[in-house]
Amino acid sequence: MTKKIYFDDINIGDAMPTFTSAPIMRTHLVRYAGASGDFNPLHHDETFVAMFGMQRVIAHGMLIMGITGNAITEWIDNKCLKNFKVRFSGMTEPADLTDFENTKARATITITGKVVKKFAEGGENRIQCELQAADALGNVKLTGSFIAALPSK
Amino acid sequence: MADKSKLGMEFPSYTFEVEKGKIAEFAMAISQKESKDQLNPLYVNREAARKDDYKDIIAPPTFQTCFPLWAAGGLLPLIQALGIDLIRLLHGEEEYDYLGVIHPGDIMTGKSKVVDMYEKEKKDKPGKFMDFTVIETEIRNQRGELVIKTRSTLVER
Repeated sequence: MTKKIYFDDINIGDAMPTFTSAPIMRTHLVRYAGASGDFNPLHHDETFVAMFGMQRVIAHGMLIMGITGNAITEWIDNKCLKNFKVRFSGMTEPADLTDFENTKARATITITGKVVKKFAEGGENRIQCELQAADALGNVKLTGSFIAALPSK
Repeated sequence: MADKSKLGMEFPSYTFEVEKGKIAEFAMAISQKESKDQLNPLYVNREAARKDDYKDIIAPPTFQTCFPLWAAGGLLPLIQALGIDLIRLLHGEEEYDYLGVIHPGDIMTGKSKVVDMYEKEKKDKPGKFMDFTVIETEIRNQRGELVIKTRSTLVER
């Protein structure tokens, strides 16, 4: 469970704790397809993507957003979350088992963010945090933000 | 290209019953975990959730993405109704407003509407345009309470 974060303890410019995913493998894509119900073959069938000249399947954008949500709730309690939005900017190819060491960087997603605003709304003390998800090569997958209502001391 | 006359179009509502097994399965997928024991206990353990002042198990922040996919036949009927070209389709943006909490046993009803359609000129190809379609969905529980508002931006490149 997340530890309690108070509005008073957060300052504009504070970084959210950095969160790094496991290298995304095809099995993770299959698991996400089943869980979400998104069976677009773009995300699991290499013979399908080959018809469009692509070498590999790509991860669901919503898996990357899901991992990003996980990064948020590792820090902020779920019930505090008021708004979460992302803009997708890059695709993610899974690592290859045949060449894991050389392909894991493109499939390992790190989420970073920082607090950009503290404000009162709806009788609550809220923070806004901007964030991004990028692979270990520096390619940005999504940018976005979240708003959380935090308790005061 | 998306048919601009569809602005304001409303889609038939869908209903999705939240099961705790689905929450655990979804949480495992986004946490990249192999077993329930490795998950945030709030997603699998009612006692842990109660200790944290929740009534029951809760769901991860993006859980609602599975509602229309399982309940309304996915994106395809919607894309076809809007005349969007699947080959050119990208998911541009996704936004959630959280107004309530989802628990197992809740029966969620989603109602979607096309709220915006616009074009943007491609920066690298002047004279060529990308089409944007914005769909808002209100998701209510069995008590009629608005729990989540979603806003999805679909892009045809």
